[in-house]
Amino acid sequence: MLAALAGDAKSYHLLLNEVAPLLRGYFRRRLGGAAEDIEDLVQDTLIAIHSRRATYDGERPFTAWMFALARYKMVDMLRRSRAEISLDGLEEILSGGDFEAATQARMDIDALLASLPAKQARVIRETKLEGWSVAEAAASGGLSVADVKVSVHRGLKQLALRLKDK
Amino acid sequence: MTMDTGRLIDSLAEDLRPVPPRAVERRMALALAAGMAVSALVTAAGLGIRADLLIALQGHIIWMKAFYVGTLAVLAACASTRLARPDLALPGWLWLFCLPVLVLAALAASELAHTPPQDWMALWLGKSWKVCPFLVLGLSVPIFLALLRALGKLAPTRLRSTGALAGITAGASAALVYCLHCPESSASFVITWYSAGIALAGLIGAALGPRLLRW
Repeated sequence: MLAALAGDAKSYHLLLNEVAPLLRGYFRRRLGGAAEDIEDLVQDTLIAIHSRRATYDGERPFTAWMFALARYKMVDMLRRSRAEISLDGLEEILSGGDFEAATQARMDIDALLASLPAKQARVIRETKLEGWSVAEAAASGGLSVADVKVSVHRGLKQLALRLKDK
Repeated sequence: MTMDTGRLIDSLAEDLRPVPPRAVERRMALALAAGMAVSALVTAAGLGIRADLLIALQGHIIWMKAFYVGTLAVLAACASTRLARPDLALPGWLWLFCLPVLVLAALAASELAHTPPQDWMALWLGKSWKVCPFLVLGLSVPIFLALLRALGKLAPTRLRSTGALAGITAGASAALVYCLHCPESSASFVITWYSAGIALAGLIGAALGPRLLRW
């Protein structure tokens, strides 16, 4: 986003493309509703990201800013359609809650895993995040069970080192 | 549908122009300055600058007034600029608004203590208490409109608070301009009637915010 603010259209294009599915997931989880509404909100939010990009403060997390826009657009739409939603539900919608935190955590993890060799990153993702067994991971990657175990072990060790450095 | 979104992203990326640093602050400051310039013109042309302005500037009373409304204006301007960003909440330093009020209240109290009680009403009501709050409110209109225009291009998400703070900013900076005209000279007058005009502007801002600031 910082590159985008400086006028780099290529990074900006990449960012918007990455952000669109996140927004889609965010709205789908909050609203459930019709796919059309969700896509409208995604587009509204993308336009808001664009036309109000000056309000992004580079020293603060991008996702928090983006979800604040998304939440505003969603509440605005709900208010306009006067949809009847229960008050406890509304509170959860307004507070944004777990999904934002989870998304930020996932982006952190993605960034960390990207720093590992592809094989290690993949097996860690499969065994530690997706909850596959070692045997399943070995079968899907065409590796031996021992190879998977060693890769996971080495990868995690690398990550631990990297986190300690930070 | 996803196709449309893809195309939208393409067109947004094509439309990208760099954003100068501190664009939010710049836009708000510009709006405030432009609004105050209009208010000053209206004051000069419509109300007239007080004839003894140059003499008054040597005294401390006009500075007392300017300090009070100036501090309020700066605080409210900073707070509303903050709220122009969608991910920021009301600042933790809102209590600072109490400081100028307390200082002026102390001044007003000591002023009353040095005045015989039969003159208190004259001190408090001055000559213009009936019009002062409304003139301040009137002068705040151009400033409020300029701030609304700026905020409309930014991304406030707490529309009522933003409206209220924009109203207070407009009211307090209008009061600062109004010092050019107003010949009143007591702290108890300022803390009552200036504050009333500013509070009125804030209330109207809070009432209109959710409607006028939507984007």
